[in-house]
Amino acid sequence: MGQNPTDHGSAPDLRVTLGPLQLANPVLTASGTFGYGLEFADFVDLSRLGGVVVKGISLKPRPGNPPPRLAETPSGMLNAIGLENVGVEKFLTDKLPPLLKRGAVVIVNILGNTVEDYAELARILSGASGIAALEINISCPNVKEGGMAFGTDGRMAARVVAAVRANTSLPLITKLSPNVTSIADIARAVVDAGSDILSCINTVSAMAVDPFSRRPKLANIVGGLSGPAVKPIAVRCVYETLRAVSCPVIGIGGIQTALDALEFLVVGASAVQVGTANLVRPTSCLEILDGIERFLRQQGLGAITDYIGTLDTQCRFPFADESCPVGIA
Amino acid sequence: MPRVQEKAKILENHREAEGIHRLVLYAPRIVPTARPGQFVMVRVASEGSDPLLARPFSFHRLHKDDGLFEILLRVVGTGTRILSQRPPGTAVDVVGPLGRGFTPPSGPHETVAFVAGGIGIAPLRALLDELIVKTHKDHPERLHVFYGARTRSELVPLSPLKRLGVQVVVSTDDGSSGEAGTVVEALRRRYEGTLELPDRLYACGSLAMQVSLARWASGRDFPMEMSLESMMACGIGACLGCALPALDPDDPQAERYVHVCQDGPVFDPRRIRWDKIQPIMARPLTSVSP
Repeated sequence: MGQNPTDHGSAPDLRVTLGPLQLANPVLTASGTFGYGLEFADFVDLSRLGGVVVKGISLKPRPGNPPPRLAETPSGMLNAIGLENVGVEKFLTDKLPPLLKRGAVVIVNILGNTVEDYAELARILSGASGIAALEINISCPNVKEGGMAFGTDGRMAARVVAAVRANTSLPLITKLSPNVTSIADIARAVVDAGSDILSCINTVSAMAVDPFSRRPKLANIVGGLSGPAVKPIAVRCVYETLRAVSCPVIGIGGIQTALDALEFLVVGASAVQVGTANLVRPTSCLEILDGIERFLRQQGLGAITDYIGTLDTQCRFPFADESCPVGIA
Repeated sequence: MPRVQEKAKILENHREAEGIHRLVLYAPRIVPTARPGQFVMVRVASEGSDPLLARPFSFHRLHKDDGLFEILLRVVGTGTRILSQRPPGTAVDVVGPLGRGFTPPSGPHETVAFVAGGIGIAPLRALLDELIVKTHKDHPERLHVFYGARTRSELVPLSPLKRLGVQVVVSTDDGSSGEAGTVVEALRRRYEGTLELPDRLYACGSLAMQVSLARWASGRDFPMEMSLESMMACGIGACLGCALPALDPDDPQAERYVHVCQDGPVFDPRRIRWDKIQPIMARPLTSVSP
């Protein structure tokens, strides 16, 4: 590394600022793919991550959906876990303290059946110390209540966000669904209601069937698609969201490598969340973080902020991927 | 026990029976703490993202002094086909050791039955290897192995178990080798009508075998552990995809989901709600989904 002639002497500055939220670097984990963080402690120094977004938390524990809950699809994974979680009480007593002790920046994903549930969760979590931000899940496609009814209707989405906003001063991220006609409309509605930051996308509503048994591969029949298959959809959603609102956006969807993450960052995402890749390779986040740092050195950039949002929408030859230096991916 | 992500080198790849391969892997960081009944997640794609997910395989044999473990895999789909074609010398990403292993017998006085249906022999062999050199060194005759397959060509060689004094009953559904019928029928023939029952039983096999054995087991109260499988993405308790319906140990009237990767893969079959499991669930840990 040190011998590389394009390297800068000092390490590139990876710090990013997302409205009220300051992070040491732009690589976070995506909710639902990193458990409560502790599951990964054998593999990852949790304090090195930009943030740990924990599994969606509800007021009461949720058992989740009946199995089968998972199916593999081309370059993707279909899931209908059903928001299984330990509930906020147990999260605060059993999960949060060891996570904070390991130096993790903890962002809590919250979900509810009603607007009041979200408000109550915001109230409870604001009373706990050490939480860096809340991420509002209004976009899970896998349970009837689970939020998507809120996330696909701008007025309902705004009501949820306003209720949370009224009950917390923590930085607020709203996680958007791609399963809408216009993600820009929803984005505007939730930002107007008080969301500081947007994250997109949640999983893409999808279905897979076994032609022999003639049965759906998931007991829930439909599920949420994640993994590399959804990445181009996610990049487009981030692009459209950024054109609609002026608040910071976190890119999520199919990020497996540093180059995938950089794709979101150049479009204008201030940070990224890595999801399904964690399940496949527990060390994915740190490898992506190291890859971003190598990329900045090779490009001669001193800070990630020099790269974020520098998309040149005039498409020219040669395409960037043909001149990609090795060792980034 | 620390879990490790390691690039494991495939040292050998043998075709053991029809559609069944045995891979020997060098993984010096995973092997030292590995226990029979635990498993590893093996990444299939050497590059790119298809197939995306890693596959779970139980330890078939452990060679601790050499840093080696073996897996036994049955080709059932794209992922297992790709792995079965991997030549020696290539490396695969492996995460392990994962899950809870078998509880060993309390001593050599115990008579122990092993019930293996088809590829279900995979995790039981690692435990047999251990008991033969540890608890049952002087009493190999108290180890009773029931090993069944659909037909002769699908049987994996079990040598040298018999020579070591282990009791082995082989059966095939079509009678082409050993006793005719299922492995559970062979087990019942051995014990029913006698006063003798094993003190402990370990099992792994197809869903049909699991259900049939669980039915036999209900009402009998000796310790029994069965290695189960479910569709699994991470193997480390994060995705919560591998849920199975089970009775709550704290409240037998209540039900809750257990997760094969961290609550198991070894379970008392009397705890599982077999009536609520669809046929595509709960294949043995070694014959994972395509």
